[in-house]
Amino acid sequence: MQIRLAGIGGQGVVLAGVILGEAAAIEGLNVLQTQDYSSASRGGHSIADVIISKEPIYDVMVTKADVLVALHQLGYDTVKDSLKEDGLLIIETDLVKPDRDYVGAPFTRIAEETTGLALTVNMVALGYLVAKTNVVKKESVEEAIRRRVPKGTEEINIKAFRAGYEEGLK
Amino acid sequence: MRYPFPVGKSDFIQGDEAIARAAILAGCRFYAGYPITPASEIFEAMALYMPLVDGVSIQMEDEIASIAAIIGASWAGAKAMTATSGPGFSLMQENLGYAVMTETPIVVVDVQRGGPSTGQPTLPAQGDIMQSIWGTHGDHMLIVLSPSTVQEAFDFTIRAFNLAEKYRTPVVLLTDAEIAHMRERVYIPKPEEIELIERKLPQNEEEAKLPFGDPHGDGVPPMPIFGKGYRTYVTGLTHDERGRPRTVEREVHERLIKRIFRKILDHKDEIISYDEFMLEDAEIAIVTTGIVSRSAVRAVKMLREKGVKAGLLKLNTIWPFDFDYIEELAERVRKIYVPEMNLGQLYHLVKEGANGKAEVELIAKIGGEVHTPMEIVERVVG
Repeated sequence: MQIRLAGIGGQGVVLAGVILGEAAAIEGLNVLQTQDYSSASRGGHSIADVIISKEPIYDVMVTKADVLVALHQLGYDTVKDSLKEDGLLIIETDLVKPDRDYVGAPFTRIAEETTGLALTVNMVALGYLVAKTNVVKKESVEEAIRRRVPKGTEEINIKAFRAGYEEGLK
Repeated sequence: MRYPFPVGKSDFIQGDEAIARAAILAGCRFYAGYPITPASEIFEAMALYMPLVDGVSIQMEDEIASIAAIIGASWAGAKAMTATSGPGFSLMQENLGYAVMTETPIVVVDVQRGGPSTGQPTLPAQGDIMQSIWGTHGDHMLIVLSPSTVQEAFDFTIRAFNLAEKYRTPVVLLTDAEIAHMRERVYIPKPEEIELIERKLPQNEEEAKLPFGDPHGDGVPPMPIFGKGYRTYVTGLTHDERGRPRTVEREVHERLIKRIFRKILDHKDEIISYDEFMLEDAEIAIVTTGIVSRSAVRAVKMLREKGVKAGLLKLNTIWPFDFDYIEELAERVRKIYVPEMNLGQLYHLVKEGANGKAEVELIAKIGGEVHTPMEIVERVVG
């Protein structure tokens, strides 16, 4: 499965991709994760690609995305053409105005309401993605979060992830 | 020995990180470098790990000093490495030649990015293939390895140290920004699962007196270590078997340089490594190295689905080059395609190897993107 996450610098898009990839690796799946971002630390587009497969992976980036998660209009506009026609579009509904069918929720608002921190938006979106696709198990992602986020922020990130997961089950 | 990362299990890491961990497991205990995208993560990892394994990681004033420092460390007995990208690799060329001439085991990692000059710092390229082989001046011989996955980046780094030690030579690990920054699942073996080769040391006074001789007939002299009891002279000038400068006698120069060639070329069957994919009955061969090999595997599968008998030869060692094998291949296929991320470098080696027995066509791509499988397929089917 080819998954692409797109947003702007500062939204934690690459970290969300890395955690998703780590969760797949924990499950023993083959996985590749690459990123593409502008040199600005905040504000430029930020793209993370994750390819998960039981077979060996030869691609080095997403060519035709099965899932596109768009957290910002700039990211969406940059890569929207890479989503398959029958692919799944997941959006941050306050920040992206898509021109095709989609699912989604106001991830940033959910993050603020759940953890008080807008910057946990990446974990909310990741939870939503995992609930919608079942590409990896919820438990694997939580283990990956524990490994990858800064010490002391594990619980807050898992809380945000679970809020997104619950939203995705609705 | 405790390692500062998990061993005996898989991890999800970047190519740069894999290279650093492999170096630590290969016994590298001296790293000198100067930061440069996309190789900086190797340095960052070494700065973190080295103090935890009683090693040294030092930032030098530039890349010239970095390679000079690892040459010195190697003569002091340490396995040593540096890593850089194109601009820094250019600066290292003079001392790379010094390492060849003084037969110093070192590993130099070049994480290729778009060039020339500072070019495209964050994007992958394969523009340093010729530089990795021929970048330094004078007649010289060294070994160049080229991985295509994060696992290979790990495995080939271990192999680079082993070859450097075994043949007392610099080894270049030629990788690129794509592999450096991509994360994949990688198996990090336990130390007891890794076969390590250590350099030959002098067994007696006689051998120690001839640090550039050939007492074992394999072209590889034992290497005395500074501070271990023997007097040794090391110079980049043409030298005799004892290491003393002898710069005007034709025979001395020829004997030295030919032995440096021979110690590698006589063992090229062991040094050269490649992988084949669906090549047995192929009429079309695709020859690649590094990151492009991945797209080529997919391209071969797509071509087979279209009824084209295509196969892949992926070169893991790009120097020394197996010209003879390419000629054999050219005798049994109709055409050879060489996709690479430059305007034609590996292509020229393959063309020389093919020796007119098959047509060789370059599929060049520059600008920082790996060929898509479709781009290769379209060129083959026209």
